Amino acid sequence: MIVGEQLPRRSLIWLIVCQIAVMLPHLQQIPFWIVVIYLATALWRLQMFRQRAEMPGRWLRLLLGIAGATLLFMSFGTFIGLEPMVALLLVAAALKLLEAIRERDGYLLVFLGFFICVTHFIFTQTLPATLYSVFCTGLLVTALVTLNQSPGSRCSGHEPLLALKMLALAIPMMVVLFLLFPRIGPIWSVPSTSGQGMTGMSDFLRPGAVTKLGRSADVAFRAGFAGVIPKKPALYWRGLVLSKFEEGTWRTLQWRELPGSERQLVAPETIGDPLRYRVVLEPTQQRWLYGIAYAESSTAGVYEAVDYRLGVLNPIEFQFGYDVTSWGTAGLQPSLSDWRRGLETDFPKGLNPLTEAWVKDLRNQFSDDRDFVAALLNYFRMQPFYYTLEPPEILSPDFVDKFMFDSRRGFCEHYAYSFVAMLRMAGIPARIVAGYQGGEVNPLNNTVVVRQFDAHAWAEIWVGGAGWQRVDPTAAVAPSRIELGIEAVLDGQPGFLSDSVMSAYRFRGIKILNWMRLRYDALAFGWQSFIVGFDSTRQIDLLKDWFGEIRVSWFIALLLGSWAGVLIPLMLWLNRGRRVHRLLPEEQRFSALCLRLDQRGLGRTFGEPPLQTLRRARRHLPEGDALYLALEHAVADLYRRTRSASEGP
Amino acid sequence: MLFQANPKERLKNVLLQRYRRWLGRRLPAARTITLEQRRLFIFPSRQGFLFAVTLLLMLLTAINYQNNLAYGLTFWLAMLFIVAVHFTHANLLKMVISSIRVKSVYPGQQAEFVFRISCTSARRGHHAVKLVWPDSEVLVDVPAGGEVEVSLRHKVVARGWFDPPKLRIESTYPLGLLRCWSFAYFDSRALVWPRPLEVDRRVSPYTENASYGFSEHEGLDDLMGFRDYRIGDAPRLIDWRSHARGLPLQTKLYSLPVDEDHWLDWHDFSAGSVEQKLSWLCWLVLQHHRRGESFGLRLPSFELPLAAGDRQRDLALRALALHGLSRGEVG
Repeated sequence: MIVGEQLPRRSLIWLIVCQIAVMLPHLQQIPFWIVVIYLATALWRLQMFRQRAEMPGRWLRLLLGIAGATLLFMSFGTFIGLEPMVALLLVAAALKLLEAIRERDGYLLVFLGFFICVTHFIFTQTLPATLYSVFCTGLLVTALVTLNQSPGSRCSGHEPLLALKMLALAIPMMVVLFLLFPRIGPIWSVPSTSGQGMTGMSDFLRPGAVTKLGRSADVAFRAGFAGVIPKKPALYWRGLVLSKFEEGTWRTLQWRELPGSERQLVAPETIGDPLRYRVVLEPTQQRWLYGIAYAESSTAGVYEAVDYRLGVLNPIEFQFGYDVTSWGTAGLQPSLSDWRRGLETDFPKGLNPLTEAWVKDLRNQFSDDRDFVAALLNYFRMQPFYYTLEPPEILSPDFVDKFMFDSRRGFCEHYAYSFVAMLRMAGIPARIVAGYQGGEVNPLNNTVVVRQFDAHAWAEIWVGGAGWQRVDPTAAVAPSRIELGIEAVLDGQPGFLSDSVMSAYRFRGIKILNWMRLRYDALAFGWQSFIVGFDSTRQIDLLKDWFGEIRVSWFIALLLGSWAGVLIPLMLWLNRGRRVHRLLPEEQRFSALCLRLDQRGLGRTFGEPPLQTLRRARRHLPEGDALYLALEHAVADLYRRTRSASEGP
Repeated sequence: MLFQANPKERLKNVLLQRYRRWLGRRLPAARTITLEQRRLFIFPSRQGFLFAVTLLLMLLTAINYQNNLAYGLTFWLAMLFIVAVHFTHANLLKMVISSIRVKSVYPGQQAEFVFRISCTSARRGHHAVKLVWPDSEVLVDVPAGGEVEVSLRHKVVARGWFDPPKLRIESTYPLGLLRCWSFAYFDSRALVWPRPLEVDRRVSPYTENASYGFSEHEGLDDLMGFRDYRIGDAPRLIDWRSHARGLPLQTKLYSLPVDEDHWLDWHDFSAGSVEQKLSWLCWLVLQHHRRGESFGLRLPSFELPLAAGDRQRDLALRALALHGLSRGEVG
């Protein structure tokens, strides 16, 4: 092996650092033993570098490869899917590190590193993740620089600086390309994330389901408002409509369960000024979206279900932004079909005998639906009901009986469950709506940040002529939950935020930290909506905004202009202080004559000695030609000038 | 031959000729060469193409996942490539290479060409520059405003002038994704002397003369001393015994009868080819020079008057080296 082809020793260190750096953010998605493999190969390679270990033989390497693949298959059970593929890539990179002895192995590792960086973006696109990837890119480019240094050059520490300089120069051109590159849809379908370890709402409700969300301060979504943000009690983010009660669980109705006549959405009458906002939803792995009723979305791919909730066809795997228009005054479904009425009043009889008897009594007193609802709410208000994150667990099927007359301690879903159950017992169409309530207003950029602990469940009852109306039994039990937000009620209670020990949200009491937190959240929202959520619609809007119309020639001009704007100054800067070596006067004269020869078809070929040129000229030019004579003089001068240096003992 | 060549071959020849002439116009040979804009060529290296494939994969990932950050990173690296074009090019731009020394050699030896590479800028040096000949290459860094000397060797086989092949100057610094290179022909050449051969007694008049015999008469001469071995010394004069003890090669010196002036004449050799005669004469020239004697040289078309010393030796060797070669190449 030629020395020049060997992996320079200094770049080995950089390569190891790079490989570990690009692997670290994947820790969430990969089994832990991959880290062990990384460390082991890095250590082994370092021992090889210190000449304390041998490079593993071909068979051993093959064996390691097979072992890695087998372990992967055992960990994931499959090779299909994003996580196993990324893990495979990482294992390959780790094993490649072990056999990286040639320069081109170094390049391969760096390019692999770039690709691993990109796969990281598939899982997360947050600002910190981006900054970390930028850091990794800097490391990888530095490794490239070290691969190209001559072995003798001293370590001057200027390699990272040079890498940063070059990367910085590439940014303006990158921005222009980013804005102009057409966003086309997927060319083929790709494996998606398995979405393990997500916190968030599920599409069914049973007691305790929402309670667990109260432990987490993770952001569920952010909503940026164009105008004034409504007061907190109006911020009911409707997500799921749970109409069907089965085996102690409330669930949504699937589209295929609807009879044909019920599949058509009855659009409500919209009056007044709507509320306009954009929601950026964190990945949920679910197919529904959140909005304030009655919500319509203009974003492509968002549909509206018959129970007036927004949904998408494919699970939300990445942050998803959508624009919403809401009319608060719109009446939902003013007339109810028999099928619908039957569905929304269906509750199994005989499960809760105590409650059934009690409801029957109450119904006799209040025959009007509104009066009955008011009486129920009043009961919640007057009796010693408690709002708590840690209610006693009720597992028996007579949940309503136990809750209403025994424990009386519960979270929102306990109240919504019992409330809707009692209304249905009384023959009033009612259903549970699950979503979020409230949220933290960030005045810095006019957004509402909704976290997992804002998860809420409430009820909707159908009132003749007005349609579905929102009724929140929790508001009767704990009014401040709705007025001030959940943290006003639960802060200090055991369990609240217990899953988010290090969340910045915990430090909201300290003024400067809170300001920084809000500032950062505003930045994150801007990042999500302008960079991550930059799609073809936004692209066209933006370009139309700037240029008035979409014209390809302008874009090409802009692209080339940005290149010239960066590269021409760069060229001048790189060349400063460089001078051109002047030719000797004899050389200049000879070159000038050669050009004249060239015009007469006798140009010099590459590397022809001047004397040979002269001889050729003599053969081809007529006797006594002025050009030949001049050439003869020039060559003589040239040789006289340069002769002495050409030879030596 | 030209008529037998098929049209394709002929076209290839014509194109090759054209290409050479174009190169000649672009890169005239000179003693000192500055790598100017028009001399430099730049093209993605093999790693550069691999990088492009990586970028393509990254772009496909970005498109299929509709991932803006993946788009961003891909574009960033693509633009880094564009920036690297300028950095790689600027690394060699206006580098000055001078051929400063060439040593004359005997056939079969390596001719050594010494080049000086200098950087005219006080701010930016030239990094990881490779000078390449078919079987010799060197990698150097030139500090800003400084200069370095490097030597390249090339094996020579025949006496006469040895024109160095074209020198490739290349660098992939800083990222290795692009290769910037230039070719340079230097107007300096190495003089290759004939190979010295001990005179064959059967064909030479000089062996009759006691002053040239070393075999039989050696014992009669007094050993005068030693001096460092020089190329061309007869193996039997070397003090092998001391060399075996690890000392450098030494040549034994014998006192010889002080002689009158010597004329080394081509025509005195009764037999032998041209090259043999030149080799013998070469050996004789070296012998006389070593003893500090004055000598003259007669060749069929050349006569060197009697003289002694290094210059006389050089003139004689030069005449021998260039004997019979076309006038144009005598230079």
